[in-house]
Amino acid sequence: MRFDSAALRPFRTGAVVALGLFAAGVALRPLEAPAWQSIRAGQPALRLESLKDALGQGVTVGLLGGFRAIVADLFWIRTNTIWEGNDLPGTQTSIKLVTAIDPRPLYFWLNGSRMIAYDMPNWRIDKAGGYDAVPDAVKRRFDEEQSSVAIKYLENALEFHPGEPLLILEIANVHLNRLKDNETAAKLYLEASRHPDAPFYAARIHAELLRKLGRNAEAYAFLKQLHPTLPTNDIGAMPDVVLGRIRELEEEMGIPETQRFQPRHASAPVLPAAPPAP
Amino acid sequence: MSVASVPFSFSRLSLIAGNTFLEAVRQKLFNFLLLLAVGLVASAQFFREFNFGSSELKFISDFGFGALIFFGSALTIATTAQLFFSEIENRTALTLLAKPLWRAEFVFGKFLGVFAVIGVFCALTIGLMMALLWHREGQLMDIRPEDFANGRLIAYGDLVVVGVLQWLKFGVLAAIVLLIASFSNTNLFTVVTGFFVLVICHLQYLARDAWGNVDNPLVGLVVRVLGFVFPNFQLFNLADQIGQGAGVSPIVALQVAGYAVAYIGVIGGLAVYSFRNREI
Amino acid sequence: MSPSVSAISIQGLTKDFSVTLRGVKLRAVDALNLEVAEGQVYGLLGPNGSGKSTTIKIILGLLDATVGDVRVFGVPANRVEARRNVGYLPEAPYFYRYLSGRELVKFYARVCGVSGATLKARVDEVIDWVGLSGAADRRVGTYSKGMLQRIGLAQALVHDPKLIVLDEPTAGVDPVGSAEMCELIRKLKHQGKTVLITSHLLAQIEDVCDRVAILDRGKLIVEGSVLELVGQRDRQALIVDPLPEADLEALRGWLAARGHTLNAVEQPRARLDQLFLSKVSRPGRPGGASAGVGSNEVPLDAKP
Repeated sequence: MRFDSAALRPFRTGAVVALGLFAAGVALRPLEAPAWQSIRAGQPALRLESLKDALGQGVTVGLLGGFRAIVADLFWIRTNTIWEGNDLPGTQTSIKLVTAIDPRPLYFWLNGSRMIAYDMPNWRIDKAGGYDAVPDAVKRRFDEEQSSVAIKYLENALEFHPGEPLLILEIANVHLNRLKDNETAAKLYLEASRHPDAPFYAARIHAELLRKLGRNAEAYAFLKQLHPTLPTNDIGAMPDVVLGRIRELEEEMGIPETQRFQPRHASAPVLPAAPPAP
Repeated sequence: MSVASVPFSFSRLSLIAGNTFLEAVRQKLFNFLLLLAVGLVASAQFFREFNFGSSELKFISDFGFGALIFFGSALTIATTAQLFFSEIENRTALTLLAKPLWRAEFVFGKFLGVFAVIGVFCALTIGLMMALLWHREGQLMDIRPEDFANGRLIAYGDLVVVGVLQWLKFGVLAAIVLLIASFSNTNLFTVVTGFFVLVICHLQYLARDAWGNVDNPLVGLVVRVLGFVFPNFQLFNLADQIGQGAGVSPIVALQVAGYAVAYIGVIGGLAVYSFRNREI
Repeated sequence: MSPSVSAISIQGLTKDFSVTLRGVKLRAVDALNLEVAEGQVYGLLGPNGSGKSTTIKIILGLLDATVGDVRVFGVPANRVEARRNVGYLPEAPYFYRYLSGRELVKFYARVCGVSGATLKARVDEVIDWVGLSGAADRRVGTYSKGMLQRIGLAQALVHDPKLIVLDEPTAGVDPVGSAEMCELIRKLKHQGKTVLITSHLLAQIEDVCDRVAILDRGKLIVEGSVLELVGQRDRQALIVDPLPEADLEALRGWLAARGHTLNAVEQPRARLDQLFLSKVSRPGRPGGASAGVGSNEVPLDAKP
């Protein structure tokens, strides 16, 4: 079989182009690889199996193609609309879908868990007849069930953000505010406070919970250890407040003046300026 | 017979580029897409309804970059194809190429014209987004000072870096579309193929992830070759990181920029080669 | 450049367009040989599909020859250098609509390397030469077909090329515009330019060309000077005032006595385009007040 060489020219051109692109791909791989490794590390894998059905092919391709953040934003806005209608299963599903699309923003995890732990028990109470009609035991059960869902959700978040203090704090908040479990909450506030990026209030709440649990000596030791580490130029560190708490504990525990804590900060008062707060 | 040669001229190249730019900005499509992008960025006002707090800035940034990437891709593909085929179909290419003009000057002139148009688009979209973010961030700093204890949250320099990298990505895309146009017979074929290639370039990383898991060695080879033939557009996806509050490493930014510039050169060169073989 | 070098030299040119992979081809030009001497106005004639435009595109380096050698002033046509001395006006030209006529000519001038102080002078000169000074600052999008042809000619001439290639320069243009174009071509010849014209409007070509070649299905059918091809050398026509029948008989007798025959007595007719041109006046015609119309009234045998 004879082929016409002029007719083959487009194919020759195509072959040269394909070869050129391949060669460029090979030659540029050393330049691309380190950058790609760094960028890839910031992009958690998508669990496509769970998303395909919920999103459809078009949106899934959009996600894979780099529109992940904006798709998640749009679904978060949709979540807010569903939330306004007090639709519990709808909101819960939508919250989980958003973080399945893009687990990177803490905002989604934190606000999603708050909807689950704080709003949804109220919706369930309303649906069951209102606060006056629903027995306390049932209210308590609703709180526990929703708190359990929220904590599980936040623990899932920790898989994507290991050791993130804001997530640990959020779990601690649920234990403290919804489950009234001061013991677990205190442990979690302590765990969060050990993270270098943790907000200063985590340590203060941990100490307060120890006091509520009657472990004043432990709280006193913790605050004495904490105070020298607090910066004076950060408004959130509140070393004066911590010192005030130390003084309160010293009063409560009857610690003699000579053995009382002596702060190193020049600005800090040596003795409590005011009577202990209730 | 010895004849004085006609050397490659940047002056002629910039003339073609300037003319292409002028033609592009006078097209309705450019203005339409620019308006859409600006509209989408400006619609960030809508996020105030949701009381997102300081996270509202993430939403503005995500939508801004979303508008930039989506409309920028559409503009790049449509404008490049349209500006190339308007020269072919209106036979102005005949008049031009009958002058002492290299086809390389024509192709790279077209590229630079389109690249400048996309540059204007990127600058306007990013500029508007930055202005909105700055304004809104200032308001939020008054409303929720606790969220801004360490000053402004948005790294505006990084926004510019990501904007420039997106522009370079559109440059690679424009070079790809010119390569397709250099052998294609119709504008429609070029636009459709350009969109397909855009999707492939965005998804080629999946093929690269998968090739190690493919049992059939032949399929594995094909997948691997595809991973080399198409540029990796996910590499330019740094906008998400900005939205998460993470900065852009200057080294990574330089590597990505180098990657884009190298690809523009290679694909542009292949477009010239293909166009030289084209009978007009 | 040696004076013996042809402006265009085509030797054994064949151009095939492949239709299928198996080698089925469409032969657009078949073993064409042509020489166009410098300073000639050369007409390339033929019906649609005869290979005229393909030949022109090969001369301009826009297409590659399948076989054969094509040179422009001795330089292979596929080299960029060959186009340095060539100006080209495509058929039914379309230009960037958003540019004014002046901007357009300036753009092409700069592409051709005209720059500096000469740029403005040269642009103004060619615009004036094609008679578009009054419309030079209007957008090209508002131009009529005839004006487009003229601005197209201006861009072809702006770098002062030695060879001007005009592809169907009068197609779709009204008779006034066609006459103006023919007049411009004559003026180019007087300036010593070589002009290659393709057309299927034979009457117009006949008026301006020195030599013509007729192509059909890619093959050269006829080539020669216009006079050689259409002049009847063994005949002559006398145009006189109306003669009474008696005088006519006397003339026949006079001719017979000298061995000649009066073959035909006819009423001379003006061509319709000449009538049209004499009735339709247009001020500011390029190259002078009425040169375009007047030139068509020159008797056939007075042609150079």
